[in-house]
Amino acid sequence: MECGDKSPPAKSMEDLKQAALMLVGILIAFTVVMTMFAYTTLTERRFLGFIQGRLGPNRVGPGGLLQPVADLIKLICKEDIVPDKSTRFVYFLAPVIVTTTALMSLIVYPFGPEIHLPILGTIRLVIARFDVALLYVLGVTSVGVYGIALAGWSSNNKYSLMGGLRSSAQMISYELALGLALIGVILQSGTLDLYSIVEQQAGHLGISGWNVFWLQPLGFLIYLIAAIAETNRVPFDLPEAETELVAGFHTEYSAMKFGLFFVAEYLNMFTVSMLATTLFLGGWNGPFVREVPWLGVFYFFGKVILFLFLYIWLRGTLPRFRFDQLMSFGWKFLVPLAIINIVITATIEWSGVFDLISKYVKVSAGWWG
Amino acid sequence: MLALLFILFAGLAIGCAISMVAQRNPLYSAISLIGVFISLACLYVTLAAPFIAAVQVIVYAGAIMVLVVFVIMLLNVEEEERRPLRMRALVPVAIGLAAVLFAETVFIIFFVQASPATPTRNLSDVGLTSSIGAGLFTSYLLPFEITSVLLLMAIVGAITLARRGGLLPARAGVVPGDQVLPRGMLDRRDPGNRTPVATHTTKEAGRLLGVEQRRDEGE
Repeated sequence: MECGDKSPPAKSMEDLKQAALMLVGILIAFTVVMTMFAYTTLTERRFLGFIQGRLGPNRVGPGGLLQPVADLIKLICKEDIVPDKSTRFVYFLAPVIVTTTALMSLIVYPFGPEIHLPILGTIRLVIARFDVALLYVLGVTSVGVYGIALAGWSSNNKYSLMGGLRSSAQMISYELALGLALIGVILQSGTLDLYSIVEQQAGHLGISGWNVFWLQPLGFLIYLIAAIAETNRVPFDLPEAETELVAGFHTEYSAMKFGLFFVAEYLNMFTVSMLATTLFLGGWNGPFVREVPWLGVFYFFGKVILFLFLYIWLRGTLPRFRFDQLMSFGWKFLVPLAIINIVITATIEWSGVFDLISKYVKVSAGWWG
Repeated sequence: MLALLFILFAGLAIGCAISMVAQRNPLYSAISLIGVFISLACLYVTLAAPFIAAVQVIVYAGAIMVLVVFVIMLLNVEEEERRPLRMRALVPVAIGLAAVLFAETVFIIFFVQASPATPTRNLSDVGLTSSIGAGLFTSYLLPFEITSVLLLMAIVGAITLARRGGLLPARAGVVPGDQVLPRGMLDRRDPGNRTPVATHTTKEAGRLLGVEQRRDEGE
């Protein structure tokens, strides 16, 4: 993190404090995200029930509130069946890769502005802030593909293999559109550091500076579509299309190993939602954040939850793509569109029109400080 | 602390590299290679080059190796059998080259480090995105452009190779896994004819296409 030049003993103390803060931050982030995961599954089931005119799980606890706990206990206690002819080592490795990479990218998101605490002093509400945070997220996400591909391969099952192949093909294709959609934001903000990108999006009331209003509505749309495909959700859930492939790449996984794939799917949803919030919807920016910094945390998670709600809503309403449609949509429509977006952004940036307007609206946040 | 991390990741990289060469299952080799790339990325981070590290993971571990794994899975490459060593004459040459490499390392460690240290400029911005970008587009512009032309050549070359006399005409339009073949694919004189020809098994489709089945795959 950021340490000034101090005398050695003081510096090592400072380092130790920073390391301890980071560890605590990671612990809190993981706990919060895991709790969010548990209740997203519950919300998803209840809300899908609502869309489809049925009740959903409502028996465990008041209104089904303890259902995730019951599910967890069930997953842990179930028999763990390993297929006889599976490739043992890879079969165990796959869920580990998926979950680890899904958790790893959580540490770079700034979930709040600087806050003042009684003992610790001023701290930034971001676990690790570094120069290439955005690239780190993309890199970690791209490693996550292996988990799914290897899970499909090692299960020694043709449905799993097809699911794994479909998934890796789909994720490679849509990663391209996803990355290209982000370039517009990078061009506009001139940095890969997520914290600076968020700080740049403060405007009137913390709303007028959001990138989605500033040149990037197209980029946002492309990102959103690619992100849904990247997380293998409806309408792009070809890798686990149950009418064709049983359950896709995790057909042969049981008990908690299946649970890990399940966790990873939702964590990836959180990751792409957080990235969308950070890059396009102003992160923790919102009305009165400067006066009350704590509000930023609520704004950030509120926006993330909005995205999660969108995911569930889509799942309840849209039918599934066919695989060749999915591929041609990605390569022949989204990628060219993303390139057009880059060209437009670059042209406007270069011509300086954007700077001129932003001088009046975005940067000089005048009366809100 | 840094030394500890270096030993950890260097050891991991070397271990994965040895495993990559020694494994006979191509998929295990590929996984080991991914391990090498990721350990190298970690080493770059300890050397204060986060941008290179991130790009290493995105490009090598995230894109190229995914394609390799994909191809291995798609073709279902079998375990390689242990064959008698061909070209034994090359073994002493390899040992000689390895010795040269080792000597170079020793030379660097003992002689270059012993020489008086050259003053380095302020290192605070080396390895950051903006300094790399500025370097690429100012002082190293020509090599950068030449590299892009090289990559373009590789892409064009790959397309040319794939198209020349291949089985599939450009407009075949086959869905992967589909066993309904367009007529234009079977009849080379009539390319682009998409009237379907139904086949019932993979073997039958292969026979119609003239692809030899090397071994009997259980249906």
